[in-house]
Amino acid sequence: MQWWTSKVNDPTGTVSGNSSFEKTFQKSIILTNMESMVAWGRKNSIWPFNFGLSCCYVEMATSITSKYDSARFGAEVIRGSPREADMMIIAGTVFIKMAPVIKRLYEQMMAPRWIISMGSCANSGGMYDIYSVVQGVDKFMPVDVYVPGCPPRPDAFLEGILLLRDQVGNEKRPLNWVIGDQGIVKPRGVSLKEEKRAERMKMTEIRDPGSI
Amino acid sequence: MTDIVTILDHDFPGYILSVQDTKDDFPTLWVKPLHIMEILRFLKTTVDGPYKMLYDLTAVDEQARIHHNGQPVSDFTVVYQLLSFERNAFLRLKVPLTDAGPALPSVTGIWPAANWYEREVYDLFGIRFEGHPHLKRILMPDTWVGHPLQKCHPARATEMPPYQLPENKQETEQLSMQFKPEEWGLDSTAGGDDLLFLNLGPQHPGTHGILRLVVQLDGENIMNVVPDIGFHHRGAEKMGERQSWHSYIPYTDRVEYLGGVMNNFPYVMAVEKLAGITVPDRAKVIRIMLSELFRISSHLVWYGTFAQDLGMMTPVFLTFNDREKVLDIIAAICGARMHPNWFRIGGVAQELPKGWEALIQSFIDYFPKRLKEYDNLVMKNSIFKARTIGIGVYSTEEAIEWGITGPGLRATGLEWDFRKKQPYSGYEQFEFEVPTGQNGDCYDRAKVRVEELRQSLRIIQQCLHNMPEGPYKSDHPLTTPPVKERTLRDIETLIHHFLNVTWGPVIPPGEAFCGVEATKGHNGYYLVSDGNTTSYRTRIRTPSFPHLQFVPTISTGYTLPDLMAILGATDYVLSDVDR
Repeated sequence: MQWWTSKVNDPTGTVSGNSSFEKTFQKSIILTNMESMVAWGRKNSIWPFNFGLSCCYVEMATSITSKYDSARFGAEVIRGSPREADMMIIAGTVFIKMAPVIKRLYEQMMAPRWIISMGSCANSGGMYDIYSVVQGVDKFMPVDVYVPGCPPRPDAFLEGILLLRDQVGNEKRPLNWVIGDQGIVKPRGVSLKEEKRAERMKMTEIRDPGSI
Repeated sequence: MTDIVTILDHDFPGYILSVQDTKDDFPTLWVKPLHIMEILRFLKTTVDGPYKMLYDLTAVDEQARIHHNGQPVSDFTVVYQLLSFERNAFLRLKVPLTDAGPALPSVTGIWPAANWYEREVYDLFGIRFEGHPHLKRILMPDTWVGHPLQKCHPARATEMPPYQLPENKQETEQLSMQFKPEEWGLDSTAGGDDLLFLNLGPQHPGTHGILRLVVQLDGENIMNVVPDIGFHHRGAEKMGERQSWHSYIPYTDRVEYLGGVMNNFPYVMAVEKLAGITVPDRAKVIRIMLSELFRISSHLVWYGTFAQDLGMMTPVFLTFNDREKVLDIIAAICGARMHPNWFRIGGVAQELPKGWEALIQSFIDYFPKRLKEYDNLVMKNSIFKARTIGIGVYSTEEAIEWGITGPGLRATGLEWDFRKKQPYSGYEQFEFEVPTGQNGDCYDRAKVRVEELRQSLRIIQQCLHNMPEGPYKSDHPLTTPPVKERTLRDIETLIHHFLNVTWGPVIPPGEAFCGVEATKGHNGYYLVSDGNTTSYRTRIRTPSFPHLQFVPTISTGYTLPDLMAILGATDYVLSDVDR
């Protein structure tokens, strides 16, 4: 498709013979189905729940500030109430005393809702194999994206948001009754560890830690 | 002033069971359980140079102990650590308990601050305190069975049945958390009017983490606050009994997670006291420089979020940007942002990278201008002032009574900084001022922290200009990991290196306490070694624990929005409260 801008003095005017009816038509109309349209909207405006557990929450909050700026991906409108949020980030350690509360907060979120497990503690308990810590939030809640790190850098967390966006965009969520399979079909999860292995293997020089 | 051991020996003959030698050289006395109340009351009120602050109260389960070293027979030992400001000295009292159901009289009547400490000891050790106003679990959920810091309690989650959360368990857990005013002796009505119990947290943006406060309200006026903590209990103390001395360092990073290496500091110094390691000068100065960088980083998080608590959106974006600059330096030196795990027993992990001077210098040039900007933006802002001046006021006496240290104590006008009063790691050689306030309100607490940012920058500048030459790690055999160079030349060094790296160092039996002036207050590690590769007992005395305990006292009488200012000005981190 060709794009052009209109002139200030002549907003309705034509630009050097390009404004065929067909092209104007192409510019103004999107042909898609409702489901994809809604998915596109959801993907670009994921509202996170302002919820944090421990250290990871600081890095999650950092990802909203200017240097990292999660607003670039439409995910900066943090909500104080689970009822207004689409995404819950389990940012930190899942404590046994806190687990029932986390589950209750999750239940208060309205579908569609997604979960990012941020950091090693939420992923698996991490270095806290200790009596007061649940060994991974997925022991009692579904998780869509796992972000490794202790804590993950804000950039790593943003990559998690990008992965979730892809997932949300490709998710099949029928808006009404259709012939065929009912219910939500989530795309198959990818393991970035596997996907990026070849690229990592190419690396032959490791930066000297003795210099900056 | 007369030595405290002499005084007690003279005034209370027969009350003292024995005097113990410790590596930290604090007077350590074993007292008969029957007389502990009398002695504590005497030490707080009557003695010349009184011990006004109950600095710490904890316990040790002695039942798995091998090296008793002539200590009195004890199954559980309750340890009181007191601080005297007049004497500028700590004192440790130990009480042996041998009963099947160990119990002691509560000291809440002498120090109100003992309330939470005794509840913690009850929760984690099962020791009862007779006469305690509300002896109830504090860190673990009410439904928990057993006392985690007893030696017989499993440490690992994987030693226990896998965690599940079926519907009915969810229901019981939620029910057990329901707040019942009558349990806390609180009335539901006042003068014929119904009072409101507002449940703030455990998930609330204003509580800075998973903390639950139940606020008793008459309209908007706070009548009482009941904090419910323990949501962030990560078992850091039990973890110390399982990790080797060396591999525990990363866990210290995560206690008070904004302070980074500032947490490594007291831990490695306590281990060095136990092992008798002298740290080279260069390592000392590197440690100070990194700690002060973390103080700046932590205070910047506080600065932005505090302003945000009071309704300002902009400062948090600016201070977080500056924090990025500090973290960039930290990452260049340590390789990580928040949890660098960079100090080692006997030194630091590695030499400073080439070019570190330029990084520090550029920050020193950049930062003062920004601080001035923040003064105009925040500290001189009339709304900020209106919401903090005269709010949450307390006096020096009250602060000492409740165990408050750090900026919260200095804001009341007492010039008490452990970097000056009990210098460690060579702080006595640095020039810096100890900022204080006068009124002990939220504004003064903020003012002290803002000034501390400048003083930290001054210390960093001195580190930059006077960095000593020499090794970054001690050549003591217990340094971990040991110096590598000589290992391939003689078998003795090779064996030591191999053992220290595989099993970890074996630290001689003994006990030591070491504390530092951390970002939030005085943070101390009390370590007991039983001559093993792991610690026998690791006690972390964190500043946020007593600070949060003090919040109800200073919030009563103010309104609900003031509570946000009080919480923000207290500057606690929940991992530092619950550990």
